[in-house]
Amino acid sequence: MSEPKSVLIIDDDPDFVHAVGELLASSGYQVSTASNGREGLDLAKRLQPDLILLDVMMSERTEGFFTLEQIRDVPALAETPVIVISSIYSDHPVFKVSPEAGWLPASLFLPKPVDPARLIAESARLIAASAATGAHVPQAGSSGR
Amino acid sequence: MKILKIPKKDLDLFVSILPAFGELYAPVRRGSGYAFDRPASWSDVQMDYPRTILPPRKFFLPPREATFAFDAREGYRDLLREAAVRRVLFGVHAYDIFGLNILDRVFAEGKFPDPYYIARRQNTAIIGIDFQPDDKHFARSMNADFVDSGFDLFLSDIGDHFLVLVGTSRGDDMVVMSGCLLEQPTEADFAEYKRRSGLRRAAYHTQVELGDLPEILEMEYHSQVWDDVATRCLSCGSCSMVCPTCYCFDVNDEVGLEGRSGQRIRSWDSCLFKTHALVAGGENFRQSRASRIKFRFYHKQRGFVAEYGRPSCVGCGRCAAACPAGIDIITVITTIRGQADAHGDRTVGVAAAH
Repeated sequence: MSEPKSVLIIDDDPDFVHAVGELLASSGYQVSTASNGREGLDLAKRLQPDLILLDVMMSERTEGFFTLEQIRDVPALAETPVIVISSIYSDHPVFKVSPEAGWLPASLFLPKPVDPARLIAESARLIAASAATGAHVPQAGSSGR
Repeated sequence: MKILKIPKKDLDLFVSILPAFGELYAPVRRGSGYAFDRPASWSDVQMDYPRTILPPRKFFLPPREATFAFDAREGYRDLLREAAVRRVLFGVHAYDIFGLNILDRVFAEGKFPDPYYIARRQNTAIIGIDFQPDDKHFARSMNADFVDSGFDLFLSDIGDHFLVLVGTSRGDDMVVMSGCLLEQPTEADFAEYKRRSGLRRAAYHTQVELGDLPEILEMEYHSQVWDDVATRCLSCGSCSMVCPTCYCFDVNDEVGLEGRSGQRIRSWDSCLFKTHALVAGGENFRQSRASRIKFRFYHKQRGFVAEYGRPSCVGCGRCAAACPAGIDIITVITTIRGQADAHGDRTVGVAAAH
């Protein structure tokens, strides 16, 4: 039997972390959590998860973006699939966050509130594609915006 | 030149897109000072800093770099590719951009273009920002308080917004990538820019007269002032290490113990160092400390004027801030001009803005 795939959730909203953590655990993933970018970066370096779910607006509203840059600076995490999940569009509807905007080094952007079925499906897709190619997986389809 | 504006409250969002153009460096706190470094968060970025400890020169002429490697079996291996790291320098003051433009004259446009320097310049985006001068800045005297080239974007504070000058197509790409964060400025924004521009000019408390300085230096070549300054100078080289336009370097081959491979290393040097003018055979053209400190002033304020039409000093005030002996360029120049005594009590040269 193969090892369960691991997912790291970096989000300062305990309710979101609990709900999504339970959802992923019930789908067979090994879930770790961090409540801020610094803690998340440290955990990511240590655990080298198969997938990272990353919030943007934490103690600072761009904390997730800076955290993502630092994640990409770590060679072992440079190609790890990252799903950025945020409600930043509700605050800044004109700001283009999706990977299609050309600057976000993430695999996918999902707006909050997130659709559980889609999150599970995209998590499975990104982890499988990453395992198959060993490379950063580009986003499939729309950003969900 | 395209001119736009961005709300200050949205600058954090704009900065978030910049890593798409290279590793982001910005002024951050380092001890009691500031340094260009990688910010871990937006709150690390210091928008109101007087000056960084080291100028941005460190990104283009690193303190120490390997230019190529050599191996008895494999031959030479050019390390130019390692120099071409994509970077974004955010929050660079006008005088430091001016300093880079001066370095361009020597390393990019001179008789011997330096491929390492040029690769770094081409791969580094620069976003400037205006600043309020403190008592050590004299960039206005050096005509380096404003800059009209050498940046991709330049931000000027106009209250709730920054006016954004777009200097290059790369800067325009940043604007496009940021979506709709930037807006068209209004006539009122331009009026506010002009008002604040005048206030910034008037805020310079430290001034020095540049006119006929090369001629006066010519007359004062044997002045006692150089010996007086030398009694205080420690020859530590701090002034040249923090200077935006000092570019002396030393070259050494570092060979492995097996004697079959190694690297050619270029590292910062300083004309204040006793070995700077030491040549084969033991001859030293600037043996005395007075001759070395004099050389530094003559190169910046006289030799560079003859070669490039302007002094290489940009008035950042770093040399005065860094000197452990309290030597400052303003006092030396005003003393040479006969407008202050050897102890630096100035009769002119420092004027309160009215």
